[in-house]
Amino acid sequence: MRKIFKFLFNDNPILIFTLGLCSVLAITTTFEKSYIMGIIILIVLILCNIITSIIKKIVKEEIRIPVYIIIIATIITIIQIFISRYSPNLYKAFGIYLPLLTVNCVLLGSCLSYASSHSIKDSFLNALKNGLGYLVVISIIGFLRELLGSGKITIMNDISLLTGYRFIIDVFNNDILPNKIFLTSGGAFILLGLVMGIIRKLNRGDN
Amino acid sequence: MKFKVSNGPFVKSSNSTSKMMTRLLIALIPIICLSILKNTIIVYFYTDATLLESLHPIFMIILSIITSYVSELLYFKFILKYKIADCIHELSKSFSIIPGVLLSLVLPVSTPLWVIVFGAFFANIFGKMIYGGFGQNIFNPALIGYLFISASYSSLIGSHLNLYELDTLAGATPLTNLASLNYVGSYDEIVSGYGSLLNFFVGSIPGSLGEVSKMLIIFAFVYLTITKTIKYLIPIFYVGTVFVITYVVSLFTDMGIWYPIFHILSGGLLFGAVFMATDPVTSPITKFGQIFHGICLGVLTVSLRFFTSYPEGVMTSILFMNMFVPLCDKIGLSVKNNLKKVWIYILVIVIFISMTSYFIINKISYKEENKIPVNILETKKEGDKTIYNVSSKGWGLIKATVTVENGEIISIDITDKSGETQWSELEKNDYANKAIEYQDNIDSLDAVSGSTFSSDGIKNIIKKILESELNNEK
Repeated sequence: MRKIFKFLFNDNPILIFTLGLCSVLAITTTFEKSYIMGIIILIVLILCNIITSIIKKIVKEEIRIPVYIIIIATIITIIQIFISRYSPNLYKAFGIYLPLLTVNCVLLGSCLSYASSHSIKDSFLNALKNGLGYLVVISIIGFLRELLGSGKITIMNDISLLTGYRFIIDVFNNDILPNKIFLTSGGAFILLGLVMGIIRKLNRGDN
Repeated sequence: MKFKVSNGPFVKSSNSTSKMMTRLLIALIPIICLSILKNTIIVYFYTDATLLESLHPIFMIILSIITSYVSELLYFKFILKYKIADCIHELSKSFSIIPGVLLSLVLPVSTPLWVIVFGAFFANIFGKMIYGGFGQNIFNPALIGYLFISASYSSLIGSHLNLYELDTLAGATPLTNLASLNYVGSYDEIVSGYGSLLNFFVGSIPGSLGEVSKMLIIFAFVYLTITKTIKYLIPIFYVGTVFVITYVVSLFTDMGIWYPIFHILSGGLLFGAVFMATDPVTSPITKFGQIFHGICLGVLTVSLRFFTSYPEGVMTSILFMNMFVPLCDKIGLSVKNNLKKVWIYILVIVIFISMTSYFIINKISYKEENKIPVNILETKKEGDKTIYNVSSKGWGLIKATVTVENGEIISIDITDKSGETQWSELEKNDYANKAIEYQDNIDSLDAVSGSTFSSDGIKNIIKKILESELNNEK
């Protein structure tokens, strides 16, 4: 248990390095959107890191950034086409934030700082660790924001065309909760800060 | 010979923090007394409210103070893990009574009690303790609580009118009334509904608990300035800037000197300027920094009043300017070191003020041209009936489907009301159906008090559709 915790939250891209906050703050209004975004980032991260690691000897240092951005943009465009084909609702819900992943600093940062100087296996493991950490944290924030902000948990709605199920749990509906402030980006910042504080504190206790 | 080495300050003033806070409370006491007289005693004797209902404002103040203390105690005890004796020692140095009182004084009279508990808790924990307690906070804690309440429970806090005023006055607070008139109008339209400007000065107008009596606030300002408790430059330049800008606006729109005075005396401007903008922790220290801070506050408040759908703007601008306190101090220091630089900043200030006035005048004169803010999105004909899809400007945007038969509206179906904060008031009154009944003489239908904007939105839909029907017949 402690090993898993450490694997996920030591050097977590969101909680420790505060990278890639754009998608964390913008699209986490429902649980479903957040975990799908997390999965997309996990896939893109792994693919990018492997490709970067393969071509690390060919690419000169001066032109690294444009080359990596082209790699990331290619993979994201492929994913974008897939999503728009299989789940138009989700594609609409993500809007600009899906193409914006191209300049997401989690992806670019881990390509630049890790995969460009390590072996294929190492960079795959690093990508897996970062991506899983990102996935867990973005899901936690999306879950809390939707639970507190709109009083329900959407597990499958926009992807129901693919899976054939719709699954939304209604939790509260009274005066106190849902509380609209958690749907605003200000509330997202407050929640992110709280989650960050709590997990850092737990992590420190572990060491 | 031995020298004793110690850190500054070596010159001690008699102005200790606890004395300053006590003076602040003394200055607040008459204001609290007047608000209790106005909102409790008068309500009890002149309406048929029960004792418990009329005591509501007192409960609000007391509960807010208690929650402030309790939430700080909990933070000290369970997050910082102090011993009980240390907790009490820390509490006595932390002055949590001030945010408690101020929060309850800026809220509307009919706020539910549990909302205040949440607000005070949020104010003290997230506005103050998380930053490190008294003296470390960037933002004014009371305003953080106010922001939290107005962002999350805006539909519950109700109107600013107490029960007595609900009986005697039709409509809303003076500033909401002004906003619904598109910021221009005659003295009769804007002021006379609430008596005269003297009523504004004494405090017999609707408003939140503490802000109504400008006379007592000015007394408090004089007292606090004489005892050197607050930084008097900020309120003077704040109010002065609001006066200058609205005076320029009144000159260009043929309104008298009463218009700027109305702007100063209505809403929470004076209260915010004296008690919140001068908070010792969250305001600049340097002289010129304070002047600059005050002027920026004035420009922001006027812009918020004229350009957004929120008619107040004082609290938001104070919170916003709290972020720029270090910048103001930097400016103040650079001016102190090099007096020639003052001209640059005066130029900046003049440009600020004239641009704001220009845009306001531009906006007001533009608004007069298209009067009914309703868009017809789609028209369909089905036999005798015509179906319109319209969007109308209420507080946000109301979208509705309207069915018309033989030039008469027979049904209104509201499809989108998510932007409206006070919609429940309209539903209670069955306002849409009432508006259909009154369609031949829509101006005689009164707006629902507490949600004037949404009512006007519905009225405008009917006006616009009847107008377009007339055009079609021609």
